[in-house]
Amino acid sequence: MLSYILDRLKSSIVVLFVVSVITFFVLMIIPGNPAQLILGTDATPEAIQELHAAMGLDRPLYQQYLSWLLDLFTLDMGSSYVYGESVTALIARSIPVTFSISIFAMVMAVFIAFLFGIISAIKKNSIADYFSRSIMQLGAAIPSFWIGMVFIVYFGIKLRILPVSGFVPIEQSFAGFIKSILLPSVVLAIGEVGTLLRIIRSSMLDSLKQDYMDMARVKGLSTGKTYIKYALRGALTAPLTIIGMQFAKLAGGTVVVETIFALPGLGRMVLTAVEHRDIVLLQGLVMFITSTVIIITLIVDISVMYLNPRIKSFQQGEL
Amino acid sequence: MRKNISLILGIILVLIIIAVWVLSFVYMPYPPNEMNIPDKFLKPSIDSEHILGTDNFGRDILSRIMYGSRNVLLVGIGSVTLGTLLGIFLGAVAAMKRFANTIIMRIMDGLMAFPGILLAMMLVAVLERGIQGSIIAISIFMVPVFSRLVYSMILDTEALLYIKAAKSYGSSRKQIFLRHYIPAMLPRLITQFTSAIGSAVMIETSLSFLGLGIQPPYASWGLMLSESRQFFLSYPYLAVAPGIAIIITVLGFNLIGDGLNDILINRGNSNE
Repeated sequence: MLSYILDRLKSSIVVLFVVSVITFFVLMIIPGNPAQLILGTDATPEAIQELHAAMGLDRPLYQQYLSWLLDLFTLDMGSSYVYGESVTALIARSIPVTFSISIFAMVMAVFIAFLFGIISAIKKNSIADYFSRSIMQLGAAIPSFWIGMVFIVYFGIKLRILPVSGFVPIEQSFAGFIKSILLPSVVLAIGEVGTLLRIIRSSMLDSLKQDYMDMARVKGLSTGKTYIKYALRGALTAPLTIIGMQFAKLAGGTVVVETIFALPGLGRMVLTAVEHRDIVLLQGLVMFITSTVIIITLIVDISVMYLNPRIKSFQQGEL
Repeated sequence: MRKNISLILGIILVLIIIAVWVLSFVYMPYPPNEMNIPDKFLKPSIDSEHILGTDNFGRDILSRIMYGSRNVLLVGIGSVTLGTLLGIFLGAVAAMKRFANTIIMRIMDGLMAFPGILLAMMLVAVLERGIQGSIIAISIFMVPVFSRLVYSMILDTEALLYIKAAKSYGSSRKQIFLRHYIPAMLPRLITQFTSAIGSAVMIETSLSFLGLGIQPPYASWGLMLSESRQFFLSYPYLAVAPGIAIIITVLGFNLIGDGLNDILINRGNSNE
């Protein structure tokens, strides 16, 4: 049990380390001199040279990497030249936006996916099943920016019931907050539903085939009870693992959604950083987003193990 | 027999796109980048000379959709091919050469950890924007999936009798790889390859939409959608054609992937 957690922890740290190496070195081979970028084209060569040295860019790469890594531990990610602010402060300010829409989207996607996934498995090959499988395929094929544009026109301009851009913090107005994140979250959720639905449907189908289902029926439990108490419980492991992975995918999806709805979140800032080649900001953002994803996956894996003792015994070599 | 419906539907959709793509080399109603300001914002109509209408520069939308199919397919198929080859190579080296195993697979774990489009965006920041940059960025995104697949399949197959037999006959590693591993892996690779094209097309259009992919004035469906954003409120038809083109392409490749998965891998005992 403990050894499994330690193992997972160890491998997460290794992955984090690899991610930091990739992030740092990939972005360091960027063409162009960051000092030149900051000072603009009419700066004197001496000024550029001076800033170059002040930023520590004349040191060997591995030294730059080590000092960057050490600074990361103290949450010092340097400062962004586009915004002229510390990266940590910028990230802290964007977190509420991105987390709100991600969590909201995930809750919606999980709810819909479970609802349709279970119905679709129980009533296999019914109209409901075909319907949810169409959602599954379409959800994965419709680009989120396209749905976003359609939503903006329909709900924002035609019906005028929802705002089409901007973010209202929750402490300012609760209704305003919900309204401002509703459309972006729905758009994000549509992209997530398909994968989740597929997994829930297939693990539910597997679970329905197991012997314990016959056993439950023989015991005289009502059909509804057998589905919920036995089939669903047996079918939870795979969807939970996937929810963790989907959360990770969401972090990438927010770039597009935040851009369409003009939300000042992490994804939007990634785009700004890429557009302006703001390396320091991009390094910080990528490290932050990826670490969050790795930590969430770790938590999900450990919780799944609590739910499913079979993994535990498998890890301990009892099976 | 219903499991073949996805395959058939997928093949039909992909054939439509391929037909449009082939036709774009033979005939396009107008040069795709030709501007004609007096004719701007013509609504789509079957009787008009511009069946799908014109955009804000009076460019023919049908021609731009046709031209865009070249970029989308080139980036989609090109990046997945490159990613697959690199992935097979790295996965095979990791599985067959012990010393390389840890290094390669840890790097793959690291690449896997970047969520979705983030890795591609980071690479685009380094590379030139355009077709080449998109192909390289998306192919690197694809590498870990394929290398992990190949790695685990080789480890699974390694213990099988016929591989042991081949080894005892003195076959070289290269021979075993080409004559035994590759055929054994083919069904899964083909399935994964097809589905990956669907996701590659989605990433390409997203990158173009964000302005990080194919650059104006060239046509790409994602770019057409992003250009239509300013005029979308008054001229919503601008977004219809590129949106549908993207959906047909992604859906088509995904459905083929699913259909192949049932036929080649699950062999009938699937949940369909």
